[in-house]
Parts: sequence; C-alpha cells; structure tokens
Amino acid sequence: MSAAEPVRVEPHRALRRFRVARLWWIAPAAVFLVLFFIAPLVANIWRSIGGSAPGRASQRGVLENYTVLVTDPFYFGVLQETIVVAVVVTLACIALGYPLAYFMVRKAGRWKGLILFCLIAPLLTSVVMRAFGWRVIFANRGFLNTLLVDGGLLERPINLANHPVSVYVALIHILLPFMVLSISSVLQAIPRSLEEAARALGASKIKAFWHVTLPLSIEGVITGSILVFVLTNGNFVAALLLGNNSVRTLPLMIYQQFNLTQDTSFAGAMGNVLLVIALIGLWAQSRFGKGRGI
Amino acid sequence: MAQRSSGRREWSSLALGAYSVVLLAIVMLPIVLVVVVSFSEGSFIRFPVESWSLRWYVRAIEYGPFMHSLWISVQLAVAATAAGCLIGVPAALALARSRSGFATAVAAFLLAPISIPAIVLGFTLLYYLSALGIGVSFLGLWVAHTVVAVPYVARTVIAVYRSVPENLEEAASILGASRWATLRYVTLPVIRPGIFAGSMFAALISFDNLSLSYFFGSTSATTLPVVMLSYMENQFDPAIAAISAIQMAIAVAVLLVLERLYGLDTLVAAK
Repeated sequence: MSAAEPVRVEPHRALRRFRVARLWWIAPAAVFLVLFFIAPLVANIWRSIGGSAPGRASQRGVLENYTVLVTDPFYFGVLQETIVVAVVVTLACIALGYPLAYFMVRKAGRWKGLILFCLIAPLLTSVVMRAFGWRVIFANRGFLNTLLVDGGLLERPINLANHPVSVYVALIHILLPFMVLSISSVLQAIPRSLEEAARALGASKIKAFWHVTLPLSIEGVITGSILVFVLTNGNFVAALLLGNNSVRTLPLMIYQQFNLTQDTSFAGAMGNVLLVIALIGLWAQSRFGKGRGI
Repeated sequence: MAQRSSGRREWSSLALGAYSVVLLAIVMLPIVLVVVVSFSEGSFIRFPVESWSLRWYVRAIEYGPFMHSLWISVQLAVAATAAGCLIGVPAALALARSRSGFATAVAAFLLAPISIPAIVLGFTLLYYLSALGIGVSFLGLWVAHTVVAVPYVARTVIAVYRSVPENLEEAASILGASRWATLRYVTLPVIRPGIFAGSMFAALISFDNLSLSYFFGSTSATTLPVVMLSYMENQFDPAIAAISAIQMAIAVAVLLVLERLYGLDTLVAAK
C-alpha cells in the first residue's frame, strides 16, 4: 500500500506547473455542446434517411432523399449552383480584398483605424439592412439607375433588381470584411524587413512581392477563403431578398422547404449535404491553415 | 533611372490608395443609403430624396412587432452571452495552456459551431428541441444562441489567457493564495479583456442572427431580424430603413463603449 504512494503524483507535482483551472471545467461546455450541437446533427442524419420524420418521408426509402438530390436535374442544378456561387464569391473576395488588406497593413499609416472601422461597421448592421441597401441601389428607380440616367450614361433604367448580379454583389459585400481581416492579420505578422531585404538584393518591387510577401501571406488567403466559402453556403438572405428565384442555392431551398412544403426529411438531407461541404472546408482549414481567422 | 523608379512607386501606391478608397466607399454605400432613406418623407424609395421627415421612425416605433422583437433580441443577446460565459470561460481556462492532443481536439470541438452553416444548426436544433418539448419558445432561442456564443467567448479567452505569463498565478500560489483566491484576484482580472471582447462578439452575433433565429420564430418570442425579414418580404417602405438604423445605432453604441475600454485593434487581434 505504502509502496504505491511515491509512484503517485507526489514527485511529479512539484515539477508540474501550477494551474488554476481543473480539467473537469471543460465538462459543462462539452456536455452542453454534445447535447445541443452534436445530438441534433446526428438526429438530422437519422431523419434524412427517413428514420423518424412525419409526413412524406415515410413513403421514401433509405437514402432516397440523397438519390433525388443527385439524380433529379433540378436539385442537381441547385447543388451545382450552390458550389458555383460559393466559389465565385470566394474568388471575388480574394481579388478585391487582398489589395485592400495590403494597403491597410503596409501603406495606410494613420488611416488604418478608419479603414478598420469601415470594414467592421457593416458587420454591426443587420444582413437584412444590407440586403435592403442593395435593393435601394439596384431598384428600377433606385440609386444606381437615377445616377446613370441623370448622368446621361443610360437612356432608360437597367433592371438589376431580381437579377443574379445583385445576389452576387450582396454576398461579396457581406463576406469581404472576413476576407480582408483574415489576410491582414497574417500580413501584419510578416516583417517588412523581409521585403526590404529582397529589394536590397536586387529584386524588383513586383518580384519581391510575388516571391516573398505573397507566399508568406498565403495562409491568410486560405483561411479567409474557407471562412467565406462556408459562410456563403449558410446565407439564404441574399438569394431570398435580392434574387427572386434567379439564384437557387441549397440554403434558399432549405428555407423554402421548411416554409412551404414542410418536407423535413428532404430539408434534412439538403442540410446534411451543406454540412458535408462545411466539413470539407473545416478539414481543409486544419490541413492548410493554422486555425487563424476572425 | 532612380528617379523613374521612385516615380513609379509613388504612382503604384497612389493607385492602390485610390482603389482602396473606392472599394471602401462602395462597402459603406448601402449602409449610408439606408440611413438616408430612413429620413425621407415619401412612401416610395426614390432618388434624390425630396423631403425629409421622421415619420418612418415614428412608424417603426409604433409598429408593435418591431419594438416587441427588439426587446426579445436584447434579452436574448444578454442571456445567451451570459450562459456562454458561464460555461465557456472555465472551459477556455482549462484548455488554453495544455498542448496535449486531447486539449487541442476539445478546443476544436468547442469552436466548431461557428464553422457550421447556421441554417443547418437552426434547422436541426428546432426538430431536436421540439422532440424534447421545448421547440418554438424563448428557451429554444436561448439554447440555440448559447451554442453559438460558447465558441466566440472561448476563442477570445483562450487567446488572451495564452498571452498571460504562467508565473503570475504561480507567484500568487507561492505567496499563499488559495486556488479560488488566485482565480478571483489574479486570473479573472487578467483575462477580463478576453471575456469582454468575446462577450461583445457573442452578443452582436446573437443580436443579428437570422439563420438561427428564423426557425424558432413564434408570435410570443421572435427576434428583430426575423420580423424585419418578414416585413421586407411583404413591404418595401422606409420603415424598414428606420428600424435598421435604430438597430445599427444600438450595435455601434455597444462597439464604441468597447473601443473606449479596450481599443478596436486589440479586439481584431484577439483571434
């Protein structure tokens, strides 16, 4: 019995660093999330294969929902459009956001705070407000048309409301701040001296950027891309309020299934497909990034 | 030669600056326009705005569902953030300083809810909670928003706690402080900025969460963004602009307080 004593934590304890927190302190949060985050997702998998859903689901066989999603031309089109929208929005955010992030970190100087404010301010407003703002801009007699017609650039108003363009613009607007903040947080950590060294060694400004700064900041681009990709997949407001069914994505379909047809089993299957897309994003993040991001 | 290259550098910096100014102007444009429209007089939205009035603010304030749901949204943001802190902060303290695989995995698990499309979370949770008998209700909303509040709080607290030297607490303990005294007088004060920033994020996210709240909307307990969405689906008048401006003013006020206390830079840096 006493032989067991020294083997226990006693000698160890002196070496171990002092910790205020006990390991069991993670239990409340972990249990809460298992109960209200993991369990619902598992229940949804069960429901999507026709396990426990009321209504139409009972007539469907196992996996039939998924078969429909892949074989039905309409739903397969939705699946494709979902991915196309997410990819286009992500690429647009990189192209538009990188120069801004670079300017903010390297050139803006004392204006940096103001730029940061302009990026964060939209995040404080409701997505409904931003969608409304774009409708005000794109409406038939809205801001843009008034500007163009009064400016003599157009003879009659162009119809951009309910056009896919307005959905894309609104999505890019909503997600651009996430991209810029992801990139700038990485750029911030790259010492300026590296670029200066490349310049001193004879590289042109563009070469120094291309071979030194860009590769070092690529992690921010990847993190931002994954963030934007996943968030685009969760957004139904832009397509709902600005698209008028001209852009059909999975989140919009889930919203409509829930609202109109109440086919919970099918909506559950679509949710799982979205979930898989998100999980691929998460996996990519752990693979390529180091878990940075806003 | 040297002159030419420096001239070109000036030019490229200038172009980059001009681009940034234009892009930021476009980013701000929809928001500014909504605020402008909210002060217009007419029932239709057209430009240029001809006459100004506060009638849409009066309408927004008199419109019952807006004010009722605004109050629900505020209560919900506070309740979800408080619950998120209560379980998220201890977990963050327990995880932040361990580099073990287990701790890393649990930390990733705690942060996972913000990486899942919110519409999937809301949808699946509604059916799950309905099966438990607490579907469409304030309690259901509270649970859903807490699921998302935990990662925001945990993330900033983990980041701040990692940057605090470990020997601060060791010193307190060596000097004879009990574990609870160390927690109360050393740990909590130093991680306060993290708790505060995480809480603000969680509260702001909860305040504007549409994809999650949408599924729990009932006549007795529904949040402002949901009411705004259904209003906008049916009408296109400046009342929605007025209530948007009110909501934004609340969020900006919260952020200004935060900025005063801790600075915007530290908030963005606290990843």
